[in-house]
Amino acid sequence: MGSAFIVAWLSASLRLAGPVLLAALGETFAEQSGVLNVGIEGTILLGALASFLASYYTGMIWLALLVALLIGVAANLLLAWMYVSLRASQVVAGLVFNVLALGVASTVYRWALGNSALPESIAMFHPLHLGALSNLPLIGPVLFSQTLLFYLTIALAFVAHFVLFRTNFGLALRSSGENPATADSAGISVSRMRYAGTLISGAAAGMAGGYLVLAQVGIFRETIVSGQGFIALGIVIFGRWNPLKAAVAAIVFGACDALQLSLQIFGTHIPPQLLLALPYIVTILAISGLFGGKAVQPAALMTPYVKE
Amino acid sequence: MQHSLEMRNIVKRFPGVLANDHANLTIHAGEIHALLGENGAGKSTLMQILYGFYVMDSGEILIDGERVHLGSPKDAIALGIGMVHQEFMLVRRFSVVENTVLGLREGGGPLLDLKRASEKLKDLSHRHGLDLDPSVEVGSLPVGVQQRVEIVKLLYRDARLLILDEPTAVLTPQEKDRLFAILRKLRENGRSVVIVTHKLKEVMELADRVTVMRDGKVVATRTIGSASEQELTQLMVGREVNLHAEKSSRPPGAPVLKVEELRVGDKTGREKVRGVSFEIRAGEILGIAGVDGNGQSELAEALLHLREIKGGRVLLNGADVTALSAAKHRRMGMCYIPADRRHLGSVTEMSVADNAILGQQRKYARGWFRDTCAARNFADGLVARFGVRRASIDSPAGKLSGGNLQKLILGREIMSGPAALIVEQPTRGLDVGAVEAVWKELLQAREQGKAILLISAELEELLNLADRIAVMFEGRIVGTFDAAGASMEEIGSMMAGGASGEIGGTALTTAMQIPEARNGETV
Amino acid sequence: MAKLFERRLTPLDSPLAILTTTSAAFLTAMLVTSFLFLRYGASPLQAYAALFHEPFGTLRGFGYSLVRASPLALVALGTIVSWRSGFAYLGFEGCFVIGAAATAWLALLGAPGAQPGPMPSFLFFPLAILFGFVAAGIWAALVGIVRARFGGNEVLISLMSNYVAIFILQYLVSGPMRAPGSLPETRLLPRATWLPFILPGTRAHAGILIAIAAAILAWMLLRKVTLGYELIVTGFNPFAARYAGIDVPRRLELAAFFAGGLGGLAGMVEVLGSQHRVMDGISGGMGFVGIVVALLARLNPVAVIPTALLYGGMSVGADAMQRHADIPSSITFILESLAVLLVLAFDALRYYRLNPAFWRSAPPAAAEELK
Repeated sequence: MGSAFIVAWLSASLRLAGPVLLAALGETFAEQSGVLNVGIEGTILLGALASFLASYYTGMIWLALLVALLIGVAANLLLAWMYVSLRASQVVAGLVFNVLALGVASTVYRWALGNSALPESIAMFHPLHLGALSNLPLIGPVLFSQTLLFYLTIALAFVAHFVLFRTNFGLALRSSGENPATADSAGISVSRMRYAGTLISGAAAGMAGGYLVLAQVGIFRETIVSGQGFIALGIVIFGRWNPLKAAVAAIVFGACDALQLSLQIFGTHIPPQLLLALPYIVTILAISGLFGGKAVQPAALMTPYVKE
Repeated sequence: MQHSLEMRNIVKRFPGVLANDHANLTIHAGEIHALLGENGAGKSTLMQILYGFYVMDSGEILIDGERVHLGSPKDAIALGIGMVHQEFMLVRRFSVVENTVLGLREGGGPLLDLKRASEKLKDLSHRHGLDLDPSVEVGSLPVGVQQRVEIVKLLYRDARLLILDEPTAVLTPQEKDRLFAILRKLRENGRSVVIVTHKLKEVMELADRVTVMRDGKVVATRTIGSASEQELTQLMVGREVNLHAEKSSRPPGAPVLKVEELRVGDKTGREKVRGVSFEIRAGEILGIAGVDGNGQSELAEALLHLREIKGGRVLLNGADVTALSAAKHRRMGMCYIPADRRHLGSVTEMSVADNAILGQQRKYARGWFRDTCAARNFADGLVARFGVRRASIDSPAGKLSGGNLQKLILGREIMSGPAALIVEQPTRGLDVGAVEAVWKELLQAREQGKAILLISAELEELLNLADRIAVMFEGRIVGTFDAAGASMEEIGSMMAGGASGEIGGTALTTAMQIPEARNGETV
Repeated sequence: MAKLFERRLTPLDSPLAILTTTSAAFLTAMLVTSFLFLRYGASPLQAYAALFHEPFGTLRGFGYSLVRASPLALVALGTIVSWRSGFAYLGFEGCFVIGAAATAWLALLGAPGAQPGPMPSFLFFPLAILFGFVAAGIWAALVGIVRARFGGNEVLISLMSNYVAIFILQYLVSGPMRAPGSLPETRLLPRATWLPFILPGTRAHAGILIAIAAAILAWMLLRKVTLGYELIVTGFNPFAARYAGIDVPRRLELAAFFAGGLGGLAGMVEVLGSQHRVMDGISGGMGFVGIVVALLARLNPVAVIPTALLYGGMSVGADAMQRHADIPSSITFILESLAVLLVLAFDALRYYRLNPAFWRSAPPAAAEELK
């Protein structure tokens, strides 16, 4: 196992990490505002379909990405209304929404394509070649040959961190998730903050779906989203509700995923599933309270706020 | 505000209670004004209206002669009114400066300029003697310092009128002195302070003028120099006693419940019960008088070991039950009727019958299976005996009115045949008929030889039911009276921390805490 | 200005009110879905006829409905037992596969050539039920312990644990339990381990009987057994439960065990009744659809069997509808989930009523001033 292996592995790690990180960044905003948006799994699916169709019909990848974003926002308006205004159980509404999204996505997909054959390819994002940077040994292929969307996602991680911790909006949002009564008494509309958090997670999840289709898989399948949303939830926790740490967490998750693929090729005796399960096990231990993990989550997460 | 703020004819109703009944209040610039009254007097409600948290039903508020509209805290803040609540409005995870700028949109832009805010904060802190470090996480600060953060938040928004709701409830004596110094400085600054309190001594020590509220009405406004403590107590508690209960006099029997030097802390580690001792005999009702928040709830829960006990002992019929589980207490004969009948005392979603056997569920069973027949019979009997009306035993207990629910809970506990009953605020929120019914049951239990600890903020209730009354203030028992000869003023005065005993004067307080040594003599 | 809707003091709680809102929600969902049918040029009535005819109007289809309903019902029962005890468990996908793997392992012990060889049916099936239940029950109880003793958030932990279970399954079917060959699945289980067929002319198997028995037991647990009483009190009011002598941590762990066990039975029923082998993806999302069934059944064990039958039937009918009317089967997902979302929305109505004050001409404040 030489450097070729390491290069392939690290490159794949980053590649796989991209979409889930994007979704996790949005979900961080939702959870920091006090909403556990389980519905991002379904939203990613809807975004994937939307971007696929948009790219198929128009051939414009950036437009397709935008469409995915807008679909994500629209779908999460319904969720936000249920979470915040109806104060429905967040977990219930999110889970059921995922089933609904699956139904809608499958139906619309068949609708749009009818009986025609699947397209051979659609317009996609391709890995960049940044001249001299890409030719650097080792780090060249790993860091500088990713798709544009990857770099965009990393940039968004920094933006998200800045917005959350260095702006008035971020402070107000976080207070809604930590202590809504205090936020209310400071004149902040907790409802508005939670709507914002949910819609941001919707936008990011929609885009993540677009990322999957436009920069990775290249086609739409009904099974294209199989747990990435839940993985994003894990990344948010693993990253301690902090966008930059989430980026690291996503890469760790991606690395385990990529490692098991690579190991299969090389035929070792470590069960690949152990590596795949490792990030989840670590996340579980982190929030189990065995090591005092409870203190880190936003204090009012999942607690609906009722004004007296 | 330059000169004065006036609240005129404020009326505020909540379902079932008239919280503010044409209340009038005037605050001058540059004064410390105390708002004095017991639980339920309406003072907190009035201030919530002033701060824009509640909207009044009718009345008007004028600042410097002009009518103003206070629809939300934002309006109040804009007019220079600020409030420090009893439960601090702080985000524990944020730093001092982050808590201070929360909700403000400074510097125009969306960016947080914590650096500039910290400068301003340090300056304010220095000028007013608050001694705050902007970057520290609030959750790690002691309570007294957290309160100063609340104050700096108000000063940062240039509040001219600061309202503090029961500010010394959470403070040590030293922190209290420090707070008072800060408040006096604010007064020198030309700002006004309203301090909502039930503690008479503090009013005398700190305020310029005092307004007394009782039962939703403003009873009087006095200048401190011209009013005596007795007069203020009289205004605070004096009322006609409307209800009378028939209580037989009987010599109490053997001691049943004995509490020795009980110490109980709360979540933050502060002591809420500071060495309380008393004894109750069979067939005797010991009333605990006191305004909410002086340790009574913590005492009640600790007696049942539903709360951690830091020190002291609880003895039931001679057996040490201090460390035993709540369920064990029950089985050994000590029952509890909590103040919150809907959320703690019963399971409102379950049926009346299911609630009737709560705690006894193992008894109404044959092996693993529930003996629903026997349970229903028991419930039927209970409902009939205790007069629980207007719901079948199969309908959810939550549908019962407050009075009927209380009768159900009371019946359930009494029917389990305890030797001792701990009862907390049993008639809060009940109508006259229900109050009389509950009183009748408690007196009957007394006749049956039970030892009853009755914690109540209603003096009328204590005077009617109790044989002896102990007053609790700041976690200690500061006086014990024979109910027969007791006067409302004296008790009320002690509830307000006033005349009859120096708090902290150990000799006098210790003597009061062991009534057995004095056989219940009036102190 | 009075609001149009004012909040009631207590929500309408009667079974009639709940049934009304649930039915109204389902019917509304059907109405909305009809518009989708129109797009395909099919009249909604025809489409619904096709949807419901096959699973409920034909014997063969009904048999398939029973097959699909069994695991859904079991997961739904698990949801009910745990959620009503105050334990918000979502790890049924994981319990499903754990139960499936455990029973398959037991079944393979009896395969020709394996040790100890085939065992008689009267021994095998009870043992299989026990295995499936206990293996998955322990799996879920681990999460219960973390919640009861350390205060961990069971919602997030159980969601994560699904993945760990799925990976365990993937490992088993591509390694120790794999059939000879390259496919990641076990060999076909011996015929003797198949759940007996119960309806001639159909593929309906005894799994539905297990589900019905479980529903009866769950109902008895919650209503007739003291343990169930204690679980329910714990779910509603842990403080009152403590005072009532209930050991809250132990009850939570027990609720977790039962819930997991029921999820494991779902896996067992699917393996021994329908699939007869274990492969990756055997759960097919039933661990989540079962939760949806429980929600529509309003967390009531009695209503689970008909509701599971409805949803099982709809999935059968959806395939038929696709074959005959060329309408995508995925439309039923929309119908199923929309119904529950509408239930949640309509539920809000039980908390409100029309405010008579809204219709009075003068606002109350003005009336005061006229005095």
